[in-house]
Amino acid sequence: MSQVKYLKTLGFNSNQPIGRGFNYPYDIDFSSDGRIFLINRMGGLNSRGVRIQIFTYEEEWLEEFGTGPGTENDNFITPVCLSFDSRDRVFITDEYLNEIKIFDNRGNFLERWGQNNFPRSFKGPAGIGHGSDDSVFVVEQYKSCVTKLSPDGDFLSSWGKEGKNPGEFNLPWGLTLDQDDNVYIADWRNDRIQKFSCDGDFIDSFGSSGTKPGEFHRPSSVAVDSIGMIYVADWGNERVQVLTPTGDFHQMLRGEATLSTWAEEWLEVNPDEYDLRKESNLHIQTLPKHLQTPYHTASQTEPIFWGPVSVKIDAYDKLFVTEHSRHRIQVYHQS
Amino acid sequence: MKQTHRELIAHLARRAGFGATSSELDFYSSMSYEDAVDEFLNDREGNSIPDDLIFRRHVDLHTMQGHNAAYWAYRLISTDNPLKEKVALFWHGIFATAELKLNNLGSLNNQVEMFSRCGLGKFDDLLKELSMDPAMLVWLDNHDNHKDSINENYGREILELFSMGVGNYTEDDIKECARAFTGWTVKNGEYMSTMGFKDSIWPYGRIQWHYEFREEDHDAGIKTFLGEQGPFDGQDIIEIISRQEATARFIARHIYNYFIADEVPVPQWSETTPRDPDAIAFISDSYHRNEHSIKEVLRDVFNSQFFKESAFMRVKSPAELVIGTLRKTGEYQTPVGGETGIFTVMEESGFMGQKLLDPPSVEGWHTGEEWISSGSLVERVNFVTSHLGDHNHPGVKEMIEKLNSTTSENNDPDSFVDACIDTLGLDKISEDTRFELVNVARQVINHENEGANVDNIPQETIIQMFKLIGSCREYQLC
Repeated sequence: MSQVKYLKTLGFNSNQPIGRGFNYPYDIDFSSDGRIFLINRMGGLNSRGVRIQIFTYEEEWLEEFGTGPGTENDNFITPVCLSFDSRDRVFITDEYLNEIKIFDNRGNFLERWGQNNFPRSFKGPAGIGHGSDDSVFVVEQYKSCVTKLSPDGDFLSSWGKEGKNPGEFNLPWGLTLDQDDNVYIADWRNDRIQKFSCDGDFIDSFGSSGTKPGEFHRPSSVAVDSIGMIYVADWGNERVQVLTPTGDFHQMLRGEATLSTWAEEWLEVNPDEYDLRKESNLHIQTLPKHLQTPYHTASQTEPIFWGPVSVKIDAYDKLFVTEHSRHRIQVYHQS
Repeated sequence: MKQTHRELIAHLARRAGFGATSSELDFYSSMSYEDAVDEFLNDREGNSIPDDLIFRRHVDLHTMQGHNAAYWAYRLISTDNPLKEKVALFWHGIFATAELKLNNLGSLNNQVEMFSRCGLGKFDDLLKELSMDPAMLVWLDNHDNHKDSINENYGREILELFSMGVGNYTEDDIKECARAFTGWTVKNGEYMSTMGFKDSIWPYGRIQWHYEFREEDHDAGIKTFLGEQGPFDGQDIIEIISRQEATARFIARHIYNYFIADEVPVPQWSETTPRDPDAIAFISDSYHRNEHSIKEVLRDVFNSQFFKESAFMRVKSPAELVIGTLRKTGEYQTPVGGETGIFTVMEESGFMGQKLLDPPSVEGWHTGEEWISSGSLVERVNFVTSHLGDHNHPGVKEMIEKLNSTTSENNDPDSFVDACIDTLGLDKISEDTRFELVNVARQVINHENEGANVDNIPQETIIQMFKLIGSCREYQLC
């Protein structure tokens, strides 16, 4: 089985409410022509500029939409996840508004679900994905369930309740489907990934609480590539784990970011910082004992993952890891 | 008038914590006073809102790069081991480090965590941790303190503001102290301080700091410090400082000011006699006797007579007022993404004069009556009444239910006022204030119920009484 190798880093930090650069990026997905759509979450009292940014793999910044915060048709308060269907409509969940907003691939608003119970209400919609027939699967974190809807939003089925048993959830977050339409859920506070059929039949569960290989601490996102390899954003452990199709541990990724094109461009016009940076060692250091935790290590070490919140696979099976706290995306591929 | 056991416990809870609710008073009152002191001084980690929930709901708190007081506030309002946080707040006021210069709140938050972790330990160890704390190293320029070019800022302040106080050392001692701390810096210090100076978040956000000792930049030569001579490094200097009588008295006075009664501001200490010299002498002696253990000093203090007799002799700091009130109202026990209340509520503390993580200078805040001005008093009263006056808050709901469950005993105005005072954990109030409160209660209860006993006192009446009590002088004190 091949190993996943680092390719490149995309993006850089910007707290501007417009233009290129990320501030707490949360999730990405790809339009049919390969453009990258990214949720720029912003945060707290500085939420001006929450929006969707569109750019290419080559870091050509294209445009943005949904700038908020706001409750209008075309903006957001706290967007969480996004997913394209086969008609190139992008579905974006907002856990504060309890809505799913739908846009075309140019960012034009199409419709919103969840407002005034149309077509139904949601409680904390988070992970979202589409079946091969464009049915919509959405995690409702506050109901600890997965809801399946038709492409037009009609209710089809729902499964799960709060708990620790198979088929139960505790504040679930990310969701993805494999090529056979099996549904994978990042069961966040149960520290596991659960696998279901598209009708909600429980199939399997991977992982348990911990820091060893194959164990998770608050997994936030899951993705499956074309050969069934499973990628888990092990958010609380500040790492990404690669599992075999049967859920066995295969590989650990800690992150190895380099300077993105945007980052290089910024540093070139700020030579004082660039020069000092070159004289510095930003890799993992021997930290004082009380700082030897995944969080502190990540916070003090620039290249490794810090807040790896989302994993996504593109059409070429490349893995994109979005880090909300380093405001960038690291890209990997199968060697 | 002799204090009841419950009144004494309430006093302890206000000083060793942020005040107790009626239910918490029930709990602590069920044990002896000495056991209650031990309970506050226990070594357990303490439970508070878990980080994972906070970070999921407030992603910007994950990087600790903005509004960190909100993160600390979650711990302050939810911890079941309040003395650890109260002590962290104590040291934050003394070893005052501010976000303004650092532009690296994550490292400042790590400093607060260190105060919580080490604040009850041996003072020597705390000073050593402080001297290796990245936020402090940058705040007082020790990253610019080099073997061939000393910067005496940290050397001066560790003596003046962090241990002995002015008048107990010479300018030569400051220089020798600074020499001993050369080479104590932060990893990648030049780049990190430049990023901080420029408020740079590029390219990938801020990088938190950690300590580094650069041997090649350390002056290992012989120093003469406070009459002792040797090739001292920072650790040696701290041990010498920690055994000084001046340090014992300085710490005693800080403990007295924070846990017992208001003292004049620190700059006046060299010229103004302490309010209670005997108490200062007792605490100083305890410091030496207990080998500089802050925890054991506090145990002696809490069990002392002068502590027991010090109820309402301190003005609550804004942070104590805000946190104590929120603990009563039960707000923000569950982080909610997209809601900014926890951020703005800590801004309120700033409007009252104490913005956590942003003290006005290295000297910290001026305390006591200096917390009170015509503007800040209005802020304080408005804050308390608006929060205690909202029956939607879970803690307020619980207090109303508890009052109503005992209505049959509390449906006359006198009993009703006393029950409300107890429910708010205030335990006693001046006779004049109580007289006025009873008058109000009499008018409302008699008017609404035509003088008859009732099964339930209306919620609005209870809320009104909570707001009136929250406006009282005693609520501003602790």
